[in-house]
Amino acid sequence: MVGVVLRNVTKRWGSFTGVHAVDLVIGDREFVVFLGPSGCGKTTTMRMIAGLEDPSDGEILIGDRVVNDLEPKDRDVAMVFQNYGLYPNLTVYENIRFPLKVRRVDASTHDARVRKAAAMVELGDLLHRRPKELSGGQRQRVALARAIVREPAVFLMDEPLSNLDAKLRVSTRAQIKNLQHELKVTTIYVTHDQIEAMTLADRVVVMNKGRFQQVGTPTEIYDRPANTFVAGFIGSPAMNLMDGAVAAGVFEAPGVRVPGLVGYPDGPATLGFRAEDAEVAAGPGGEIAAPVYSIELLGDATLVSVRVGPALVAARAPKTFRAEIGDPVSFRIGAAGCHVFDSASGERIEPAPAMASPGPARADLGSTMPIGATA
Amino acid sequence: MAETKALRAPLGLKLGNAAFLAVWIVVALFPLAWTALMSFKAPVDALSANPLRVIFGPVTWEHYKAVWITHGFYRNFLNSLLITAGVVTISLTVGTLAGYALARARSNLAFWILITALVFRALPHSVLVTGYLPPFLNSRELLMPLWDAPILGWILHLFAPVPPTLYGQPWAIILVLVSINQPFTIWMMRSFFMNVPHELDEAARVDGCTHFGAFWRVIMPVMWPGVITTGLFSFLLAYNDYLVTALLLDAQSQTMVPAISQFLNRDTRASDQIEAIAAAVSITAPLFVLVLVFQRQLVSGLTAGAVKG
Ligand SMILES: Nc1ncnc2c1ncn2[C@@H]1O[C@H](COP(=O)(O)OP(=O)(O)OP(=O)(O)O)[C@@H](O)[C@H]1O
Ligand SMILES: [Mg+2]
Repeated sequence: MVGVVLRNVTKRWGSFTGVHAVDLVIGDREFVVFLGPSGCGKTTTMRMIAGLEDPSDGEILIGDRVVNDLEPKDRDVAMVFQNYGLYPNLTVYENIRFPLKVRRVDASTHDARVRKAAAMVELGDLLHRRPKELSGGQRQRVALARAIVREPAVFLMDEPLSNLDAKLRVSTRAQIKNLQHELKVTTIYVTHDQIEAMTLADRVVVMNKGRFQQVGTPTEIYDRPANTFVAGFIGSPAMNLMDGAVAAGVFEAPGVRVPGLVGYPDGPATLGFRAEDAEVAAGPGGEIAAPVYSIELLGDATLVSVRVGPALVAARAPKTFRAEIGDPVSFRIGAAGCHVFDSASGERIEPAPAMASPGPARADLGSTMPIGATA
Repeated sequence: MAETKALRAPLGLKLGNAAFLAVWIVVALFPLAWTALMSFKAPVDALSANPLRVIFGPVTWEHYKAVWITHGFYRNFLNSLLITAGVVTISLTVGTLAGYALARARSNLAFWILITALVFRALPHSVLVTGYLPPFLNSRELLMPLWDAPILGWILHLFAPVPPTLYGQPWAIILVLVSINQPFTIWMMRSFFMNVPHELDEAARVDGCTHFGAFWRVIMPVMWPGVITTGLFSFLLAYNDYLVTALLLDAQSQTMVPAISQFLNRDTRASDQIEAIAAAVSITAPLFVLVLVFQRQLVSGLTAGAVKG
């Protein structure tokens, strides 16, 4: 089948730029998720691929055709709209059948196809209803069924699960994943829910303010965020970020001293680590020592937050961990769990490879000097 | 019975509501009902000082007969029918297409077109009509150059040897009324189309329709309440028009409304007055029929959000 290519695609409205010159190559049968906060241009990018919005600049290819000048109907895509876009005067059955009808697919196959698509999203017994007699979640499933009834070159799904309750969302998510696997159709999926992105995607495109921040597999995005935006957006809780400075392999900020950062240039930097990469201990002794700012019981763990300068920094403690607000605690973080970002641009800084400095970062863990500036 | 508790009002309030509605209906309906009643009575009863004689006097159809057959009111009726049908058809067709285009357009031009339409709508009709009158009377001379023109003239000669006099021509009146009515229909249809979510045409286009196909197969089916409501307003404008038709039509091509005023102005015998009343009732009846037939669409067209997806 076919992939999708975006080359330098830009969308401007007057002086406002909704999407800034993005480039992307989506492989055949790949499941790509656009992830980003509200208003970052996800829908706009998808609408340009569908042909509902003309790019101000750049080229869009579906398969090996440049589709910039093609009508939506000639692009062979199927789309699930953020606000359903169901035809209110038609029954669920006729809604799902509509694409087959207008594309003059052999009429004798319609019934079987409609029923198959409806069964895939578990709509079997609602076929005679009209859209206004359905709940939001049911409508969304009708929109999904209408998209999958035909076998298009590309699926475009704009937050197709946004109106489902938590339980249905999990099961429909699994259905979509399975469906895409079965139908083997290239899929572009828009969401602002990172769990959806992580579970569904072959690759995730993290967007912010009309720009692609990072494109990578869910693991890459989680383990090696390309900049502070991705770091602060992905993960629950998101990565802790502290502003400070690196000097001779040691990161320092008020109440923080992380040694062992070998190969990083000296100067101001932002240090990030994930809550689950830190160990919490009562009293001083770790790389970060501060009084407890808040403590949240999550059930499977306890989340302990402290203040570092203006930033709130959280770490996961075992579920039995208890402390009062104001009690001194310390977080132990190894240099291996740390990510260093340029403090001005926010871009990730990779350590320079194997300089003449001794030993791997991990070795320092046990012998770190405690600092008790605020304890 | 299926009433929910929240909607159940205390008895006193209910009675108050009912009483108010009853009084209001009587007040509103009285003139209409009285006129209708009078039209069926002989002049002695209809114009009697005793209301009981108006109500219980013997029923007669003679005024209707006189109006429709003797005075040839049927001709006025046919003229009204022609003009109304023409105005409704043209202004709805143009209004629907333009309204859709303007509702979906994103350019500034659309805004200026709408403002221009509003300005034309705001002009007093009498200004337009007095503007139309002289050229209508002299249209034969005014249009002659077109008939003398090299190629166009040859084509026009196929239709008529000399240019028509527009005065007294129902089809010319249709154009005048359409030009008066069109800004309003465009605005009204546009606001109905604005209520139809964009996703609907977009979904249809992705599903395989052309732009026009999406409009026709998906948007129009949910627009009927809007079309019928706008159509009714166009109908009323054309049907009830006095100014344009009285000025630009002659006795032969007169429509019902100006014809009635002539009945009233004649006013020689008592029975003439009752005949004018019968004519007035004849005019009103089709309106009632129309509203009854399209009641459902009108209600949903007049209440907001009816065409939401
Ligand atoms: N027609 C338009 N004219 C001007 N600006 C627009 C238009 N459509 C969208 N925008 C702007 O473009 C930006 C991106 O919008 P878009 O709909 O793509 O966001 P999104 O990422 O899908 O957000 P959400 O998650 O809320 O759906 C927004 O800031 C929005 O205000
Ligand atoms: Mg969106």
